Amino acid sequence: MTGDSTSNESGKGSTLVYPGQRLSADGSAQAGHGVRLIDGNLVAMKTGNMVRSGNTVTIEPLSSRYVPRASDLVVGYIEGMTNNIWFVDIGAAFNAILPMSLAPWKVEFGAVRQHLGIGDAILCRVQEVDETHSSVVTMKGMGLRKLKSGFIEEIPPHIIGKVIGKGGGMLQQLKSLGQSRMIIGQNGRIWIDGELSGMSETRKAMDVIRDTAHLPGLNERVAALATE
Amino acid sequence: MGGYGDIQCIDENGIRLDGRTAEQMREVEIECGVIPVADGSARVKWGKNEVIAAVYGPMEAHPRKIQRQDRAILDVRYNMAPFSTTDRIRPGFNRRSREISKVTADALESVVDLELYPRSKIRVEIEIICAEAGTRCAGITAASMALADAGIPMSDMVVSVASGKVHDIVVCDLNKEEDNYGEADLPMGILPMTGELVFLQMDGDLNMEQFQQAWDYNMESAKEVHAIMVEALKRRYGGDE
Amino acid sequence: MAIPIVPTLLRESLAALATEDSRIDGRGRFEGRDIEIEVNCLANAEGSCRVRMGDTIVLVGVKFQIMTPYPDRPTQGGLMTSAEVRPVCGPDWEPGPPSAESIELGRVVDRGIRESGCLNMDDLCILPGEKAWQVIVDLFAISDDGNLFDAFALAAIAALSTAIVPAERFDVGEDYPLPLSSTPMMTSYHKVGGRFVYDANKREELGGDERIHITLGDEGHVHSLQKGLRGVFTAAEFTEIMDQAQIRCVELRDIVGKLE
Repeated sequence: MTGDSTSNESGKGSTLVYPGQRLSADGSAQAGHGVRLIDGNLVAMKTGNMVRSGNTVTIEPLSSRYVPRASDLVVGYIEGMTNNIWFVDIGAAFNAILPMSLAPWKVEFGAVRQHLGIGDAILCRVQEVDETHSSVVTMKGMGLRKLKSGFIEEIPPHIIGKVIGKGGGMLQQLKSLGQSRMIIGQNGRIWIDGELSGMSETRKAMDVIRDTAHLPGLNERVAALATE
Repeated sequence: MGGYGDIQCIDENGIRLDGRTAEQMREVEIECGVIPVADGSARVKWGKNEVIAAVYGPMEAHPRKIQRQDRAILDVRYNMAPFSTTDRIRPGFNRRSREISKVTADALESVVDLELYPRSKIRVEIEIICAEAGTRCAGITAASMALADAGIPMSDMVVSVASGKVHDIVVCDLNKEEDNYGEADLPMGILPMTGELVFLQMDGDLNMEQFQQAWDYNMESAKEVHAIMVEALKRRYGGDE
Repeated sequence: MAIPIVPTLLRESLAALATEDSRIDGRGRFEGRDIEIEVNCLANAEGSCRVRMGDTIVLVGVKFQIMTPYPDRPTQGGLMTSAEVRPVCGPDWEPGPPSAESIELGRVVDRGIRESGCLNMDDLCILPGEKAWQVIVDLFAISDDGNLFDAFALAAIAALSTAIVPAERFDVGEDYPLPLSSTPMMTSYHKVGGRFVYDANKREELGGDERIHITLGDEGHVHSLQKGLRGVFTAAEFTEIMDQAQIRCVELRDIVGKLE
């Protein structure tokens, strides 16, 4: 199987590729994310869907862990602290740090615990990422805050696009299904807040998305839940 | 490799104890995504062997002294469950398992794109549920499948298989009696797309012609198993209909 | 075992769900997850069982060894239950010597079987004073999504009830089915959001408090109890779950009874 072909539109007969697979041989193609040029061949470096976009061939992963990028909005959990920084679990290979200078309050040295304790959930933004994938997050910014109510659902980061949908359509569907507020973290953590019964509807829809995102007809399946 | 005693591993018609001919591989079944809580996982049934592998990560490498600044490390554990063999295995540290864990890590580190995740580790847990010769090979194969299932970037998948010799005849994919009583054992870890090797051990006695035959059997088997691995990924992720 | 952080919101959400008599996965308060059970699934074990409850998957193998009976009990064999929860089954289980959690798991499951008397140690005698059977039950977790206790206990009893004593391999007679005189069943209750629920999943365990394990025999007699983790409960709370245990153990016993 050479995996040559047609560009991949979500839901239309995916071109699943495996690590080591040789991709289309036409000379002009460039290696994008998840693809490498080895001995003149474009080689898939991971399991996923091959996507050809103009000249570039990339692999959309089917399974992945969050890799932080600057300016990503993420939901984090406080894992620990020193006198002037918090350690934040953002679901990446490494914890991020939140220095007290980037907190939304005036924090005194040694008083970090008063504002955020272990286990607290926060909405924050990735400020910078160094070359070893360690990041610094900030809570200075619009809407960034400690999350005091609601649920946090986790989905693999690569299906965030499916949860938002074209033009935000899926996200709208989910919000109205459950009459809830929702904020999507780029790290695959989604904050949902509202009445309990509504939240459970939204979460059921999320289960459908999580389990069947790679199969066609996702919009229909989720819409069907609204009529149940 | 002891004497045969009464055991005739291959008869005058070229039929082995399990009904195979010299060049036939055992039956292999592979399924991925069998451990729901893992980042990636696989089950390999290889003859009577049953192996499961789970992958967790990448994650921060702890303790700090095992971290590498320039790349990730693979933290591999190969273990045999107490009920995997006829005589129960007492749980606990086992030198053989420790060695196999290391050669497995060496094999897999040769294909995984470790430079993408400096200072982190990727846990690979290999558990032998039922053992019948060739567990280290089935283990490497299962681990490679689990890594692919987890979306870990690699330049190829690894298939590992062991051929050998009984009654001076080279046979493909040793079964239990052949492994116990035979005259040679050549396990290899092969990259199916290029035919390159990432794992190689050998015990026993093979002349150059026999060595080449055993080598070729392993290469053929690797292609067959690779096709089964690709099918397993397609079944899990719904590849082109 | 690594101690994961408990998100504060999780505990609050679980408490909120509890006030509306709901659970995080939509189950009823005393509703268990669907059970898949398969026996005789390990070729090299004399008894075996695979149990799946939701995303929790476990394997139990029963193997036999010959032992020398203790001098003060010359006609008795032995039972040993070993749980080695290995890192394969979850991100928080670490490599190394058995953790306190693993050890507790093994011992609680063991007591449930032993105290019921379902296995008569005298039935394990081969030659008085010289040889007897040691029955070894190995508990192996494949995937941990909560309530390993009940999954192990169920699989252990199912494996024992279908085990064959390998007398032929040891040259002491003909193979025969291991005699079990009853079928003790375990049910576990976890305090989540302030009230006990049955068959907690991993998130409920993470955000929950104490747990109670109850093993009941065929006639509903209590054979073993264990309270684990940090928390305080009242007599009334206990009575409520004991009543539930009586019902559920009958259902579970039925499931085991239907296996060949």
